[in-house]
Formats: sequence, C-alpha cells, structure tokens
Amino acid sequence: MQDRYSRQSRFNQIGTDGQLKLEKATVAVIGCGALGSAIAETLVRAGVGHLHLVDRDIVEYSNLQRQQLFHEQHAKDMMPKVVAAEQRLREIRSDVQLTLTMDHADGRLLDDLASKSDLLLDATDNFETRLIINDAAHKHRRPWIYGACVGSTGVVFPFIPGESACLSCLLPVLPSFNETCDTVGIIGPAVQTTAALQCVEALKWLTGKREAMMQKVHHFDLWNHSRMDVGISQIKRSNCRTCGEAPVFPALSTEGQTKLTALCGRNTVQVVPDRKRTITFDDAERAGKLANAVVRRTPYFVELLLSEYRLILFENGRLLIHGLHDIQQGRKLYHRLFG
Amino acid sequence: MITVRYFAGLKEITGTEQDYLPITSMTVGELIEWASNTYDGFSNAAHSILVAINEEYVQRNKEIQSGDIVAFIPPVSGG
Repeated sequence: MQDRYSRQSRFNQIGTDGQLKLEKATVAVIGCGALGSAIAETLVRAGVGHLHLVDRDIVEYSNLQRQQLFHEQHAKDMMPKVVAAEQRLREIRSDVQLTLTMDHADGRLLDDLASKSDLLLDATDNFETRLIINDAAHKHRRPWIYGACVGSTGVVFPFIPGESACLSCLLPVLPSFNETCDTVGIIGPAVQTTAALQCVEALKWLTGKREAMMQKVHHFDLWNHSRMDVGISQIKRSNCRTCGEAPVFPALSTEGQTKLTALCGRNTVQVVPDRKRTITFDDAERAGKLANAVVRRTPYFVELLLSEYRLILFENGRLLIHGLHDIQQGRKLYHRLFG
Repeated sequence: MITVRYFAGLKEITGTEQDYLPITSMTVGELIEWASNTYDGFSNAAHSILVAINEEYVQRNKEIQSGDIVAFIPPVSGG
C-alpha cells in the first residue's frame, strides 16, 4: 500500500506534502448521479480522507449509460444511489471514510455539511439546490465548485467566497426553463469532462495551490470542439444577498424556496415555485413537448399527460401533479421537466 | 458592427452560430429584444440567458459598442 499514491505524489505540483493534505481533507459531494459518481471515484482514488455523499434517488437503468459507480444489479434492486456508491467506493479503497445522506439537500443539511467540510463539490441537477450550496458555502467561507453538463456541453467554475462574484450575481433570476439531461439528453464524455475539470480544481484547493485555480468560468462543447472562458468580475453586485456587503443567505431559510406539499387523499403533489421563478404557459408547453407529453393549453391552465401522471400548471406558476403522493417523487418529476 | 455568437442549445434555436449586426451601439437588453423578435423560440430562453461581451459576463444595462463580440450562453443545470 506504500506504493498506492506514488504516481500522484511524484507529480511535482502535489508532492508528498500535497498527498498528506489530501488524506486529511473532508469533502462534501452534493448529488451522487453522473457527476457525483465520477467525482467521488476520482477523489477516493486520489486519497481524499473523508467524503460526504448526498443523494435522494435510487439507481435506475437509464442511469447506467453515464453514472460510473452503478451496475445492472443496483438498478434491478432499486438501490439508493448513495448505498450503491458506497459499495463500489469501498471496493476501490477500503480505508476511505464515507458519510452517507439519503435525503433532499436542503438548507439545514447543506449548512451543516459546509461547516464540517473543507470544500463542497456541486454534482446536483438543478439551480435551486445550487443556490443553497452557494449560500452555505459563503456563510462558512468554504469554496464550492460549480459543475453542470447537458448534451455535449458543460460548464465549471470554482466559487471562492471573497474572491469573485457568486452564483446569485451570475443568475439573479432563476431560469424558469432550461435544458436538462432528461429532456435533451447527455453523453458520457460531457459528464466525465465536467467532473474531471471539477476534480482538478478540487485537488488544487486541497493541496494549497490556490494560485493555479481557474479564474474564469469555463464553458465547453465537445461535439464541435468549442470552448470559452468568461470572466465574472463585472457582474459582482455589492447588494448581493449572498456575497454582498450585508449577506442574509436567503436560500438557507425555507422561505422563498420551491415548496412541495402532498395533498392528502388525492394522490396529488402540489408545487409552489420559488418566488424568483415563474413558470409560464409557454415554458410548460415547451417542456411538455420535449418530454413527449400530451400537451393541452386552455386560457386557465396547461395540462401535461406524461405516462401515468397528469400535471396541471396554473397562471401563478402553481403546479399540481396528479398520480403520485410521494413528495420526493414529485420533486424529481418537477426537476426532470423544468430543470 | 457587432458580432453575436450563440452557444450550445441556442444555436439550435437560431439555426446559426453567429450574426453580424451593422450597428454602432445598443444595450444588452436591446440586443436580446432583437434576437427574440428575430428567432422563434428565443424569447423562452431570453430572461435567463447569460450574456458576455468580449468574454466577460455583463448585466442587461451594459452598452455594446461596435467591434464587440457578444456571446449568448444558456445556463446549464444538468448533472
């Protein structure tokens, strides 16, 4: 086992000092799907001492094309992703310390994880959770590494509190509609490239090589070989509620977040979106068509028929999902359609 | 002249990678309005689109000058 990290510590920029730092580090990986699988495996192999893994989902067959820690038996057993990931990660490295959370990543959880981690890695699939990570990271002055991918494209940036604008400055309005892996698809290499770029930033931070970290937001499209690095210094807002002069970390309080409620005895979940986000009838129609739903629009609502579910969107953005009573399942369907 | 580049999924909406506008100056907001009026489906993406001028993200009230290269970038949330 002496030899285990020899090739990595021989890499000059890490060295034996850097390797020791990795072994003492605690990292939270938020989400354990495609990005989370790739990130967790890379960091475990690299020798990071302690990983927190958070995910609320179970393994499905449609995950296997790109979520590298999972195999057919996991999907067949409908195993929780964090449990399946733990199984594989311990096979890879028996002395890794793993703490698993099979739950929705809310403000309370992320506040706690940020307080006990050196770094947070974003492997989520929606902006609402990212805004919570952004707040928790700024509150506890911990860096977090944004990564996202769809189709053949991806984007990565390490947000270091106090050093740049934050995600809220970049996205003052939450997109009401954006392309998701469930609607426009994703190829494995886009996942791996995004995760690899996030992990190299993580290695730099954890080994104390801050000066080598990315200064600009990196965008790439693997299908047509394009890439773009975009600076973020002009959009910092002094009145930002997360990174401005008087931060209040709005996403850590439950107010303003998307609220899901199971409507008793009706086999229905109600979604009341974040106040910053209004899903319009046009958004719903477009999302429905991309998901191959049967779409019907009246002056009062848009109805989407999608397998056994019937979704009704009202003008104020409120959404009813008929055909299920589990809030987590409702949240998943909501994010699948609207990102 | 202003060069406008479309990134990722926006290329599918516009059907082109870039446009050249013979204009000396306009705001980012005005350029988004132009694209929304020019391309079907652009307005759906318009309110949350990220805009860069010469590879720096900017806000909507920013003035674009002739010679600038503007990039429209859709926010990416998958993972």
